[in-house]
Amino acid sequence: MDLLLDSFISAILLLKSLNAEVLTIVLVSLKISSSSTLIASVVGIPIGFAIAFNEFPGKRITVTVLNTLLALPTVAVGLFVYAFISRRGIFGPLDLLYTQKGMIIGQVILIIPIVTTLTIAAISRIDDRYRKSAMTLGATTVQTAVVVFREARFAIMAAVIAAFGRVIAEVGISMMLGGNAKGFTRTMTTAMALEYDKGEFVLAVALGLILLTISFTVNLFFNYLQGRARL
Amino acid sequence: MVFEVENLTKVYGDRKVLDIPELRIDKGKVYGLLGPNGSGKTTLLEILSFLMQPTTGEIAYNAKKVDFSRTYLQGLRREVAMVEQQPILFTTSVYKNVEFGLRIRKVAKERRKQTVFEVLDLVGMRDFAQASAHKLSGGETQRVAIARALACSPKVILFDEPTSNVDIENQIIIEGILRDINRQKGISVIFTTHNRMQATKLSDHIVFLFQGKPASSVYENIFSGSIRRDDLGGMYCLIHDKIMLPVQTAKTGQVTISIDPRTAKVLPAQDSPPGDNGFVGRVVQLTDEGGDVRALIDIGIPISVLLGREAYKEAPVLTGDQVLVICPPKSIEIV
Repeated sequence: MDLLLDSFISAILLLKSLNAEVLTIVLVSLKISSSSTLIASVVGIPIGFAIAFNEFPGKRITVTVLNTLLALPTVAVGLFVYAFISRRGIFGPLDLLYTQKGMIIGQVILIIPIVTTLTIAAISRIDDRYRKSAMTLGATTVQTAVVVFREARFAIMAAVIAAFGRVIAEVGISMMLGGNAKGFTRTMTTAMALEYDKGEFVLAVALGLILLTISFTVNLFFNYLQGRARL
Repeated sequence: MVFEVENLTKVYGDRKVLDIPELRIDKGKVYGLLGPNGSGKTTLLEILSFLMQPTTGEIAYNAKKVDFSRTYLQGLRREVAMVEQQPILFTTSVYKNVEFGLRIRKVAKERRKQTVFEVLDLVGMRDFAQASAHKLSGGETQRVAIARALACSPKVILFDEPTSNVDIENQIIIEGILRDINRQKGISVIFTTHNRMQATKLSDHIVFLFQGKPASSVYENIFSGSIRRDDLGGMYCLIHDKIMLPVQTAKTGQVTISIDPRTAKVLPAQDSPPGDNGFVGRVVQLTDEGGDVRALIDIGIPISVLLGREAYKEAPVLTGDQVLVICPPKSIEIV
């Protein structure tokens, strides 16, 4: 218990001192997680919307496959991407292994199913009367889609936040594709794993606190937006 | 002629929910589609509002045949608006809801504002312009939905049971709006209802629908029953295992039976013993219907009987009275 308390107090002092190493780790984490969330959202939201908004043969099996991919282990994605971007892989010449780009590729693959399936769920829950109302008022297909999207916006935002939470907290892909290079590919989770291995709990606890604070802030902001919308 | 419908059908699975050989709707008139629940009223409205494709048949709108497979339906929808039975408003303010149709038509901002307030005035909702649409009552929501449709200046408005989910006050307001938009703006109106009085009061023409087909009049007192034959060879229809109604029919098995409330009769219970087609029951409700009196009588099944004003004066009944309901053969129809 003393160990945890001491580490906690030291972590607070470390954060107060704005330690350069901690700041770099946090910034790298935020940069990589934000980039992968942005890319996965740009790809996953339209795919999810198209699947939910249209009827086509194989729709159910597509959704089932996407749901299955939600359980994708980070190390499996890490291995899969590693096979492509390692020196012997077909994208080896691009030198993506142990780079931030490599990590982003892996994280995008990890969270596209999350963004897509949660978007499908969000759109499917929207009352069909919104679609009919827009159509009977003379909206085009695109305008009708915008109406449905607008109604589902908070649930879609929740999908994006869930995806962000998944990548900022994952360690497998970051470790396997990033290599935990200090100041370059070292993220909060890989740094925490390293410090734990070294028996240095202070930095690990400090980074854990920052991770939780970031998650809390993002959710607080989301709740604020939802609250405003209900007014 | 705004709509000409020929051989229209709508089939879900193996169930034909709509089968209309012919229907013509005149321009600038108010039409009431009258029928019980499940008679196909809403399906017909959705087809006429170009939201649903019929299974077979043809529709001409303003004398032009409608091709449901083509994308020009959106153009037609800009002339024909539908207000649903339980309309849903977009998650924003009342003003923005009403503005929606104008915005997608790229109407200038000032003109939009003017039109929004004009139609909100018409439905008596101007004071609610900035209110959140989801905080309105059922009646207010219905009125804003009407305003939202009116803002688009449609040539035809279709209302699906416009007053079925609102209180009396809003019912009166909505009926007034419905009349006004037809008289003042010349908009053709088609509305569905299962309320005969409302249909009579508001419409220039009434179209009766029953089980998806046009009917010569509205069927009331509709019950499911089975045709049986008694020991003496007489035929009767057993309703809900309680009532045995003498019938003359070639049909067998399960049927739907209707008892005409205008030809059924009510007598004081003590005057005569019930015959084959007489049933003792208790009056549970009396309502005024344009001067006539509609009595709801529990004879084991609820049966509605329409009593003429003079007949009622001669033999008045009160709620709670024991009475004898006579269903002469001419009042019974197997539909």
